[in-house]
Amino acid sequence: MAGLLQNVTLLGMESPWLSSLRKAGKDTFLQNGVPTAKVEAWKYTKPRELNADDYVIKQHFSACPKSAEIPFDCYRICFENGWFCPDESELPQGVEVIPLIEAAMFQPQTHKYFCGLVDLAKYPFAALNQAYLQEGVYIHIEKNVELKKPLVIINHTNSEQENLLFNLHNIIVLETGAEATLVEYYIYDGDLKSRYFTNVVNEIYLSPNSRFYHNKVQDEAFKADHIALNLVSAKKDSLYKSFCLQKGANIGRNETFVKLKEEGATAEVNATYIMNGWATLDTTTDIEHLSPYTYSHQLIKGVVGGNAKGVFQGKIHIAKDAIKTEGNQLHKALLLSDDAEVDVKPELEIFADDVKCSHGAASGELDENQLFYMRSRGIGLEEAKQILIDAYLDEVTTKIDNEKISSWIKLIAKENRK
Amino acid sequence: MTTPLLEIEDLHARVQDKEIIKGFNLVINEGEVHALMGPNGAGKSTLSNVLCGKEGYEVTSGSIKFKGKDLLALDPEERAREGIFLAMQYPVEIPGVPTSTFLKHAVNAIRKHQNLSELDTMEFIKMVREEGRKLGIDADMIKRPLNVGFSGGEKKRLETLQMSILKPAFAILDEADSGLDIDALRVVSDGVNALRDGKRSMLVITHYQRLLNYVVPDFVHVYADGRIVKSGDKTLALELEEKGYAEFVKEK
Repeated sequence: MAGLLQNVTLLGMESPWLSSLRKAGKDTFLQNGVPTAKVEAWKYTKPRELNADDYVIKQHFSACPKSAEIPFDCYRICFENGWFCPDESELPQGVEVIPLIEAAMFQPQTHKYFCGLVDLAKYPFAALNQAYLQEGVYIHIEKNVELKKPLVIINHTNSEQENLLFNLHNIIVLETGAEATLVEYYIYDGDLKSRYFTNVVNEIYLSPNSRFYHNKVQDEAFKADHIALNLVSAKKDSLYKSFCLQKGANIGRNETFVKLKEEGATAEVNATYIMNGWATLDTTTDIEHLSPYTYSHQLIKGVVGGNAKGVFQGKIHIAKDAIKTEGNQLHKALLLSDDAEVDVKPELEIFADDVKCSHGAASGELDENQLFYMRSRGIGLEEAKQILIDAYLDEVTTKIDNEKISSWIKLIAKENRK
Repeated sequence: MTTPLLEIEDLHARVQDKEIIKGFNLVINEGEVHALMGPNGAGKSTLSNVLCGKEGYEVTSGSIKFKGKDLLALDPEERAREGIFLAMQYPVEIPGVPTSTFLKHAVNAIRKHQNLSELDTMEFIKMVREEGRKLGIDADMIKRPLNVGFSGGEKKRLETLQMSILKPAFAILDEADSGLDIDALRVVSDGVNALRDGKRSMLVITHYQRLLNYVVPDFVHVYADGRIVKSGDKTLALELEEKGYAEFVKEK
């Protein structure tokens, strides 16, 4: 059970406050361990293999090269093999990006945001993450500041060392009326075959009237595992709008928990997963409507080939007093082979009257008549499939507001798809 | 001087366990327009699907040669690239795929096969505009998702547009007039006639004689119960219009 905690020595800085946070994470993880299929939230995605190995946290890497090209103007925040690399991006006024450990050690005004949204007992990998709280960034956007260019967090892996464990913890705070776009990009070097584990926790605090556009591309090496938890607290009239593309990793999970705390708060959670081989890619959402006049919309579309498995668990909870709320959820999957599988678990918990709520799930295959029609015009079978898959995904990728990000993500979605 | 383009010899084909085509013979030479007329259920659509290589149609014996090559050995896309085009009775709707995107993929797939350079967006748009104008197809129509929400007339005009820009050596028109009012019929047949250049061949499959007033065939064949039971010139179509198919259906 304790496999993930063995052979690890933490270097670097510590303070009594930080130590106690880490200890709480460590104690919980030691007690609960890696979840088994008996844990409801992990019924379909089984990370038990993680037990088998002793993962290693490596301390030092040489200076980081320009790891990944981003084809649009942005502020770059780079991590190389799990470690923060200073970049020359100059930030505009009102925007702070500080390495997490610096915030923890020297910026006590940030401490109230640390692990404030984390429920250690509920999220086993967040406990592991907290046990090693060190890497990540603290992002703060001041009142009424609208960030014109997106922030891009690049997490690049190129180490051939086996069983590296990366724990990344980002804290994002938008003050009243602030607006920002973030892209998280998880990428590896070409033919990297090593097995590593990226374990991410994002804590996102949205003040009244703020708008946060959260985009993510998970394109990890095919033997890697990637488990991410996004925790969002949304105040009055704020907007949390996310899009996640998962196409890499052996086991990938992107879990989003949004608390719509005050009137007018809105969450739009959109995602797509594209996979083949033996991968399992999991999208788990949990939206809590805690106040009247709160809104959530979710569209998740997957393309599954080979022996791969797609998982969608989506929960909408509407609290007793949360009247006049709206919660919609739709999951669709395209199965490209006989052995492809999707497991879907929608859950609605509605304790209020006078709400609008819907959920739906559908899975299907490529349409033979559509394929034939295109082939009868000279378009090759693979190209025809590609056209249909692109059209299928278009419905969800067009939900990304920033056009440059949207077309970049569409290109990544197309790469190496078979 | 006549050069055979399509040679069908003693073709037998079935769908699942049911034999639909039962000893079909036909030779179409370059530049000829043939009409194939027959009652419902004669197997007309089966023939066009077999010619285009649609899955689910099994050829049990006989042969089809196109430009002297064994057509049955080719995939649907390879047949299209060789120059076979089927204007479908029920064109398929593809939500999410703009008509222009589809057309561009098709044009470039064929051009690539012919060792021509692929058209860029500007060249492509120019060509589609020119050809589209003749058929009353405007820029808005080709921006819409392929065939989605198109009226019957729009669908048939789009099939004709595809034929005009893909320039096949051999076109099959499967019930090209179904669902068309008289104005749309005229637009479509003008488009088809514009493609009759003395070299291109066509097979016009139809239940009614009406279309053949506009697209006048060189030969007319009566197709019943899986084979050709009578052949003649264009006057045969008029005869059928008058007498119906009863005598041929009885023959079986």
